[in-house]
Amino acid sequence: MSANRDHSAAADEALVSWAKQGDMRAFEELVARHRDKIYARAFGMMRNEDEALDLSQEAWVKGWQRLKQFQGESSFSTWMTRIVINLCLDALRRRKRQHAESIELMAEESGGVERHMPIVTVNPTEGLERADLRQRIDQALAQVSEVHRTVLVLHEFEGLEYKEIAKAMKCSIGTVMSRLFYARRRMAVLMASWKREQES
Amino acid sequence: MRLPTFRIRVLSALALVFGCGLAAAVAAEELKLEATLVWGTNEAQSPDPKHKPVCAEVEKKLNTLPLRWQHYFEVKRQKFAVPDAGTQKVNMSKDCQIVVKNLGKGGVEMNVIGKGESVGRIKQRLPKGEVLVTGGNAANFTGWFIVLQQAE
Amino acid sequence: MTDEMKFELLAYADGELSASARRNVEARLATDVGARALLAELQMTRQTLGSNEPAQPLPESREFYWSKIEREINRLESAGERRAPSPILQWWRRLILPAAGLAVLALTLSVNVLPGVGRGGSGVEASFPGAEALTYRDQAQGVTLVWLSYPGEDEARDYEAAPPDGDWL
Repeated sequence: MSANRDHSAAADEALVSWAKQGDMRAFEELVARHRDKIYARAFGMMRNEDEALDLSQEAWVKGWQRLKQFQGESSFSTWMTRIVINLCLDALRRRKRQHAESIELMAEESGGVERHMPIVTVNPTEGLERADLRQRIDQALAQVSEVHRTVLVLHEFEGLEYKEIAKAMKCSIGTVMSRLFYARRRMAVLMASWKREQES
Repeated sequence: MRLPTFRIRVLSALALVFGCGLAAAVAAEELKLEATLVWGTNEAQSPDPKHKPVCAEVEKKLNTLPLRWQHYFEVKRQKFAVPDAGTQKVNMSKDCQIVVKNLGKGGVEMNVIGKGESVGRIKQRLPKGEVLVTGGNAANFTGWFIVLQQAE
Repeated sequence: MTDEMKFELLAYADGELSASARRNVEARLATDVGARALLAELQMTRQTLGSNEPAQPLPESREFYWSKIEREINRLESAGERRAPSPILQWWRRLILPAAGLAVLALTLSVNVLPGVGRGGSGVEASFPGAEALTYRDQAQGVTLVWLSYPGEDEARDYEAAPPDGDWL
């Protein structure tokens, strides 16, 4: 039956329906369509290629196992993204338990560092090609702590609301706001330095 | 007299549900805490009219300690909750925050942050009625304290 | 500007405030130049990030990436992840479940009376090099004092005028 289907031309909904019936080729097509986004989300959070590959593949395996639970309330891509986000958050929590929190991070979180950041008024995107801008944002994200990068990924890229982020990160909404505030300010300062580089 | 098999099963199932619910409540226990920022001085009155003397209960606790001050003024009192295994940051003043972590079984870890820098980190079991006082010297031979206890 | 005000501006920029809270922020923005500048920065950064998520192409070929996923799915399925429990297992479950219920209850009650701090033990740590933390305990009153002292604190420090709103720290 699977051999007669044109998987490459089918919509996601049809592929999901076939995959639920056990059509592995349909699931393979879904993986091919959405693998870059799922991998990108994992890499954005983990900042490590091997870990991102492992976690994104684990997410796909879990997606296959849980297909029957997917009812189409969100898009398949969004559903899969949530799975990989949760796996990454679990991995980050395991990673955090193995390393002591630095005093620097505590100072960041307390707002002591933020108070010394001047407000940025220049637009960092002026004069930059999109590819160059994205690369610079990627480099800036690498300079931010895990916790702050996580909240940026979840809010700015994934579009989650504060309460959703709080639930995912198992913290209070106040903590989410504090982290997001610091993270966004830090990114603003990092992006402003590009402008100074261009002008110098 | 032996209970019928059906009743044994129902009672056992109820024990499982009750135990799991209780275990869940114990395991997932939120801590309701109260933190008070206190200024210790030998002056009878604080120059800041917003300050009021600490309540009798806190004064009694502070007076049991080997401290040199005779008067204690409440600068700020804050009630807050910390979820199990969670963390809560509380602003005690514009330069002082505490970050309190719920360690479970009534245990807390408090990180005191002053002017953006960590001043000290304390882990302590804090059952109801128990008080944790953290303090240090302040200007003009006065002292600062953070009094942490479970909220009423 | 207090931290609370700053977070309110963030929430305002992100559309997370209630209608009444939004009105309060807008009233403040009408007169507070600093708040307007901070809000503009927060909005600009959010827009820049949201429109320019870095691309991260998969560093493996389609076939190789998929082959690992397929292999794992097949491995789990042949290991019986989806198989229903055997009749013997079901019979054991009927026997074990009532006993488990009583065990959970007993464990719950015993956990409540055990002493201990919970996760991680107890302790005190002062953060600055050379700092000292002294602990005093009054068992009868149920009070523990942790006194933090720092090197050179008797020397002139840049304290603001007492008394505090905590400026002394």
